[in-house]
Amino acid sequence: MIAGRGKQRIRPPRRGLASSAVDFDSIWSLLETAFRQIHTSNASQLLYEELYRHAYQVVLKKKGEELYSSVSRFEHEWLSEDVRSEIYAHYSPQMLPHTQALTTSTATERRMAGEKFLKGLKEAWSHHQVCMSMIADVCIYMDRTYCNDNRLPSIYTTAMNLFRDDILQSPITTNDNRPVLHLLNQVILDQIQMERDGDVIDKHLIKSCVYMLESLSESGDESKADRLYNVSFEVDYLETSRAFYSREADAVLRDTDAGTYCKHAGRRIYEEEDRCRSTLAESTMPKIQQVVEDELVRNKIVEVVDMDSGVWFMLDNDRFEELSLLYNLNARVDDRKSVVTRAVQQRIVALGDDINKAALAASQSAPAAPGDAAEKSKPSAQTNQQTAAAIKWVEDVLALKDKFDMVWKESFQQDNMMQTAMTRSFADFINSTNFPRTSEYISLFIDENMKKGIKGKTEAEIDTVLDKAIILLRYVQDKDLFERYYKKHLCRRLLMNKSISNEVEKQMISKMKIELGNNFTTKLEAMFKDMTISEELTASFKKHVEGLGDKDPRRIELGINVLTSMTWPLETMGSMDEGEGKQSAVFPVAVDRIKQGFEKFYNLKHSGRQLKWLANMGSADIKAVFPKVAQKDGSFKERRHELNVSTYAMIILILFNDVPTDQHLTFEEIHARTNIPKADLIRNLQSLAVAPKTRILIKEPMTKDVKPTDKFFFNEGFNGKFVKIKVGVVSSGNKVESDRERRETEKKNDNSRAFCVEAAIVRIMKQRKELAHSQLVMETLSQVAAQFKPEVSMIKKRIDSLIEREYLERIEGAKVDSYRYLA
Amino acid sequence: MDIKKKHEIEAALANETQQISSGLLKEENPLDLSDDFRIFCEACRRNDLKMCQEMISKGVNINARDKYDYTPLILASLCGHYDVAQLLLENGALCERDTFQGERCLYNALNDRIRNLLLSYDFAKSTDLLQPLAAHVTSLLSRATPKTTDITIEAHGESFHLHKFILAARSPYFRKKLAASPGTTTWRLPDTIPAESLGIALQYLYFSEVSLRPRMDEDEELIILDGIARISRQLEIDQLFENLTETRADRRLVRQRRTEELERGRDQLEAWFKQNVVNNKVVVDTDKVDKIRWDRDNSIFADVLLRADDDPGDYDSDDEEESRGPSESSTPPVRDTLGPLNGIPVGPVKSRSPSRERRPRKSTVFPAHRAMLLRSEYFLTMFNSSFREAQETQRLHMIKLDCSPAVLEVILTFLYTERADFGLNTAIEVLFAADQLFIEKLKQRAALIISSLGNGSTSTLEAENPRGERDTEETVDVYEVIRAGWDTRVQRLEEFGARYMAYRLEDYIDQPEFAAIVQESARRVKARQETDTIELIDDIRFYLSERFRLRFEDSGFDKIMAEKDEKDEEGDNEDDDAPSEDELAPDLEAQIAAGGIRTLDGQLAGDEFAQDAMNYQILLGKIDTLLENLNIDA
Repeated sequence: MIAGRGKQRIRPPRRGLASSAVDFDSIWSLLETAFRQIHTSNASQLLYEELYRHAYQVVLKKKGEELYSSVSRFEHEWLSEDVRSEIYAHYSPQMLPHTQALTTSTATERRMAGEKFLKGLKEAWSHHQVCMSMIADVCIYMDRTYCNDNRLPSIYTTAMNLFRDDILQSPITTNDNRPVLHLLNQVILDQIQMERDGDVIDKHLIKSCVYMLESLSESGDESKADRLYNVSFEVDYLETSRAFYSREADAVLRDTDAGTYCKHAGRRIYEEEDRCRSTLAESTMPKIQQVVEDELVRNKIVEVVDMDSGVWFMLDNDRFEELSLLYNLNARVDDRKSVVTRAVQQRIVALGDDINKAALAASQSAPAAPGDAAEKSKPSAQTNQQTAAAIKWVEDVLALKDKFDMVWKESFQQDNMMQTAMTRSFADFINSTNFPRTSEYISLFIDENMKKGIKGKTEAEIDTVLDKAIILLRYVQDKDLFERYYKKHLCRRLLMNKSISNEVEKQMISKMKIELGNNFTTKLEAMFKDMTISEELTASFKKHVEGLGDKDPRRIELGINVLTSMTWPLETMGSMDEGEGKQSAVFPVAVDRIKQGFEKFYNLKHSGRQLKWLANMGSADIKAVFPKVAQKDGSFKERRHELNVSTYAMIILILFNDVPTDQHLTFEEIHARTNIPKADLIRNLQSLAVAPKTRILIKEPMTKDVKPTDKFFFNEGFNGKFVKIKVGVVSSGNKVESDRERRETEKKNDNSRAFCVEAAIVRIMKQRKELAHSQLVMETLSQVAAQFKPEVSMIKKRIDSLIEREYLERIEGAKVDSYRYLA
Repeated sequence: MDIKKKHEIEAALANETQQISSGLLKEENPLDLSDDFRIFCEACRRNDLKMCQEMISKGVNINARDKYDYTPLILASLCGHYDVAQLLLENGALCERDTFQGERCLYNALNDRIRNLLLSYDFAKSTDLLQPLAAHVTSLLSRATPKTTDITIEAHGESFHLHKFILAARSPYFRKKLAASPGTTTWRLPDTIPAESLGIALQYLYFSEVSLRPRMDEDEELIILDGIARISRQLEIDQLFENLTETRADRRLVRQRRTEELERGRDQLEAWFKQNVVNNKVVVDTDKVDKIRWDRDNSIFADVLLRADDDPGDYDSDDEEESRGPSESSTPPVRDTLGPLNGIPVGPVKSRSPSRERRPRKSTVFPAHRAMLLRSEYFLTMFNSSFREAQETQRLHMIKLDCSPAVLEVILTFLYTERADFGLNTAIEVLFAADQLFIEKLKQRAALIISSLGNGSTSTLEAENPRGERDTEETVDVYEVIRAGWDTRVQRLEEFGARYMAYRLEDYIDQPEFAAIVQESARRVKARQETDTIELIDDIRFYLSERFRLRFEDSGFDKIMAEKDEKDEEGDNEDDDAPSEDELAPDLEAQIAAGGIRTLDGQLAGDEFAQDAMNYQILLGKIDTLLENLNIDA
C-alpha cells in the first residue's frame, strides 16, 4: 500500500478552468440576452446551470469587476429606458390635487388616477425585485467573492439602488422635472386625505408602496436612518397632517361642545394609529401620534376643559363617558393630567364652599333669632336645627365625596394622582379658614348617630355610617380639636347613658385607632376603662355594705363612676368652672352618710386618691308617695311614683320632705340650704316645676323663668301616667356651641396645642442639640402634623417662650437663625 | 475551571474503568497494537503530516492508544507539532476536558499555542463530524421550499411529508415496501399508534436526537411509549427504543450513543447510496447523453439527473484511461485512491499536448435526490429559483456539472455520506468544483489533502537534509496549487506552497515561473490595499528561516552564524556586482552537480553547518535580487 504513495500526483484542473483566456464579451452577450429575457418575464426556459457557469467562469478569471459593472449598466439602461416609460404611461396629471389646469377632475377621478399610478409603480417595483433576485442568483458567485473582497454591495442591493436613482429620483418626463418620488408622495398623501374625509381607499396598494420606500435608503447603505420612507415621505406626511389637524381642531371646537370634541379627537388618534398599521409603517406611529396629540390635544386641552361644556359641565351632569375621554386625551399629552386635575379640583372646592356656606347659613339662622323668648320657647327645636345643620353638612360632604369617587372610578381609571389631587381639594375646603366648625360637626354627626341614628340598623349599615365619619375625619387637619369635641360628646354619652350601644362606641374607637393611631385614642379608651372599673367598684361597694351586717331597709344604693380627671373633659361639663363650684353641694344626711362610707371604702382600696364629687352629673332614683288629694279627674287615692331625677333634683326634693305641704321654699332658701350652683339650680328647678309632665313642684308665680324670689311648693296633686317617671334636666344639651363657647374651646385648644408644640420642639432639640430656625419649624410641623397644623407664628412664640425659660438659646453669630438646646 | 484533587481523579478513573468493563461506557481509547497504528504514532512524533493523513485515510482509530497509553493527539501535542495536532483534531481526535486522556493531552501540551488549539476543539464547542449531515437530514423534515418530499404519511389527521429514499435507506420495512411499489405517494398508519409516536420515529429516521417531551400524565406517556415500541417493530428500527429510553444518562454516554447512532445511520445511507445512486449511473457517449430519459417515478426515487462529461483530450491517452477506468467499473475511484495507481508523470501545464487519438467523448449521468443536493448552496439557489431546473416535470431534469465524473462522484459521496476520501490526483479539481458549488467543507477537505499529502516524499523530515538530496520527481505543481489557493480563497494552500518552495527554494528561485508568481502575489496585495509586503515572499522567508534555524538551534551554532553573516554580507556585496541571475543559475547547477561540500554559490564551506548558514544568506540575497529586478519593494 505504502509503496503507492509518492506516485500520486496533483493533477491540474481541467482545461476549461485552467485556460486563462475567457472571452468576456461573448459570455456577457449571452448573459445579457438571458437577463433581458428575465426582465420580460420570459425566463422559464433558461437554464440556471448554464448561466451560473458563465458567470462563475468570468469571475474566476478575475473579470468580476467587468461583470459587476456590466450588470449595473445593463440594469441602469433597462430601468431608465423601458421601466421609466412604463411608469409614465400610468401618470396622468389628474391624479394630483390642485393642478391648475384640471381643477375640474372630481375626487373619484382623482382617486382612480392616483391608484392607477401607484399600481403601476408597485408592479414595476415588485417585478424589478423578482427579476433581480433571479439575476442575483445567477451572479451569486460574484456576490460571494468579488463583492465580498472589494466590500461592494451585492448586485441585488446595487440594482435596488439603481431603481431609486433611475426611477424614483429622476423626473417623470424630460420636460416635467418633478421626480417620481415627489409625485408618489403627493399621491399617497392625497389618498390619505381622501380617507380622512371618509373615502375608502386601497390600503394594500399604499402599503406596498410604503414597503418599497422603506426598503430603499437615501445613501444606499443599510442603515435605517435614511430610508427613503423616513427622509422623504414621512416628513411630508407629518407636515401635511399637522396643518390638517390644526385646521380641523379649530373648526370642530367652533362648531361643537367639549364632549363631541373629545370623541372626535379620540377617534382621530385611533384612526391614525390604525392607518400606521394598515396603510403606512408602524415606525411612524409615535411620530404621527405626536403630531395629532400636539394639534388636537396639547394646544387645545385648556380651551376644551374650560369650555362651557367642559369639565364643570360634565361633572355637574354626570357625563362620565365624556369625562373619561377628556381624561384620556389629557393623559396622552401630560402624565400629570394637570389641566383636567386642576379643573376637577376647582370644582370640588367650589362645591365644597357651597356646602360650607349652606351649613353656616343654617346654623346661623337659629342664633340669628335672638332673644330669651326664642331660646326658652323651643330649646329643643333650636338644638335640632343646629344639629341638623351639622348633619346636613356632613351628609352633603359625604355625598360630594361619593360623587367624585364615582367619577374617579368611572372616568379617571382610578388614577392615583387624581385621587391625591381630589383628596387635597376636599381637605382644602373642609379645613377652609372660613369654616371653622368641621371638627365639631363631624363629632356631632357621630354623636347624633350614637344616640339615635343607629337605632334599628344592621351591623353593616352601622359600619358604613362609621366609615363615612372616618372618611371625613381623614380630611380634618386639626385632629386635636376634633378629639376635644369628641371627648366631650363621648363623656356626656357615657355618663348619661345615652349611647345606644357600647359595642358601636368601641367599634368607632377602634376605627379611629386604625385611622389616627394609638395616641389619639388612648384617652378615649381610658374613659371606657374608667366606666368598667367604676362598675366593678359599685358592685364591690355594694357587697361591702351588705357585709357590714345591719340590714337597713332604708339603705340607699349607690352607683358610682370614678373618673380620672385627666382623661375626662370635666371642665367642659361646667363643673369645675366658676368659683362657687368649689363649694360642693350639701347632701342630705342619708346621702351624705353613704357618700362618706364610699369615700372610706375607696380610700381603703386606693390610698392617697382624692375623690371629688360631681353631683351635677349624677342621677338618683327616688320613690315618692303622693298623698290622697283630689285629682282633676276626680280620683282620690294615694299614688306612688319612682322618680328618676338628677342628683341636684334629688337634693331639692328631699328638702321638701321636711317642708309641710302648704309651706314653700323660695329660690334663695333652696340655694342657701343646698349650695347648688345657681345655674344648675335654675335648670333643675325648671325641670321640676316648669316642665308640664314632671311638675312635682309648683312654682309661684307660674313663669318659665326662675327668679331668686320665686316660691316653690310641693305638688301634692301630681299625677303621672306611669309609675316610673324620668325627670329630664333642662340641660345645655349637645348642641352647636355658641360663639362664645367656641372661642373658649379654641382658646383651650390653643393652650393644649402650645404644650404639644413645645414638647415637640424640646424633643427635636434634645436630639439635635443645634438646629437652624427654618429646619426646626419644618420638623416641628411634621411632628405634630398627625394632630393638627399649627401656625408658624405659634411655633415662633413657643420658641421664644422656651428661650425665656432657658430651654434653648440663640446661637450668636450664626449665618442663619439657629438655636442650641440647653440641657 | 476548578482543579480536582488527586484522589478525586483516581476515583473518577476507577469509576470509569468499572463502567467500561461492565459495558456501560465504551472505551474511548482502546489499546491498539497494530503496525499501522504504530506507524501512525511514529508519524505523529516526527511531524510527518503526509503519513498521518495516509494513515487516517486508511482508517486507523485516531483515538486509540499505544502500549504506553499514548494517543496520537497526546504525542503530537507533547512534541509540539501544531500542524499534526490540528490535522488530528480536524479528523475527530478527542480532547475532552474532564476525561483522563483529555486532561493529559492538555497537561502535556508543549506550548500555549497548542494548548489553545486543543481547548478550542473541546467537545463542548466542536461538533460531531457527522453533525452537519445529520442536521441537514433533520432539517429536511421541516423544509418547505424547495419541495423535495415525495411521500406523505398520515396519522390522526397529521400528515408528515417525507422522502422515500431516506425511509428506504433507514428502515428495512420501507425498503421492502417501496421496492414492491415505488410509486406509492401516501402511507397510512394504523390508528392505534399515536401521532406523537410516529413523529418521534420519524425524527429518529431523520437523524434527529430523539427524546420524549416530559409530561404530567403518566398514562399518556405509556401510550406513546407503547406506540413507539410498536412502530419501531413495524419499521424494523430496533435501536430507536434503546436510544429513546436512555436519553437521561450522563453526557458522555449520550454522546457515545449519539456518535454510534450517527455512524450507523451514515453507513445505512452510504450503503443505500452506493447501491442505488452509484450503481445506477449511466455512461454514454456525449452525443447521446440527451437521449437519456428518466421518469419521475423511478425505483430509486431520484428526482434529478446530474451529468458530468469526460474532459475532452485534456490528458494523455493513458491518463484518460486512468480517469475513466474507475468510472466504468462499479466501484468508485475514490475508494481506492490509496491503491497502487499507475501515476504517470505529468509535464508542466503549458507543455501538455492534445490527445493524439480521439475516442468518442463519454458522459456519466448520476441519478440523485434534490433533498441531499441542497447541502450545496448552488443547488439550493438553483432549486429555489424560477429557472427551468426548478420546475417540476414528469421527466427528470438533467443538470450538467462542470467537472469530471470522478469528481462528481466525490461530491455526491460527500453530500450523501460526509465522506471525503480522495486522492491527490483529483484534489485540485475537487477544490474548484467545491468552490463553484459552495460546499465549504469539501473545499477545506481538498485543501487539507493537498497540503498534507502534497508534501510528497519530501516531508518535513527531510528538512534535516536541506542540501537537496532527494528524488527529483515532483508530485506537485506548486504554482498550480498556489494559484488554485488564490482562486478559491484558501489561505492554507498559499502557506503550503510557500513552505513547499521554501524547502526547495534553490530549485525554484531561478525559474521564470517563480518570478511570475511573485509578481502575481504582489499584484494581489496591491489590489487589496496599499501595503508593501508581498504575502508569498513573506511566507517563504518565514519558512526558510524555519528550515535553517531548526538546524542552527539544534546545534547551538547561533554565534557561528552571526560571524558568518558578516562574512557573507561582504561576500554578497561582491555578488551584487556579479553577473545577473540568469547567468548565475546554470553556473550554480553545474556546481551542485559537481557535488562536494560547497555553498550554493559554489564556495567551499568549512563544514555542513557553515554551509547551511551561508546557503541561507545566499537564498535570502537571491530573493532580494529577484525583487529588485521585478521593481517591487518588499
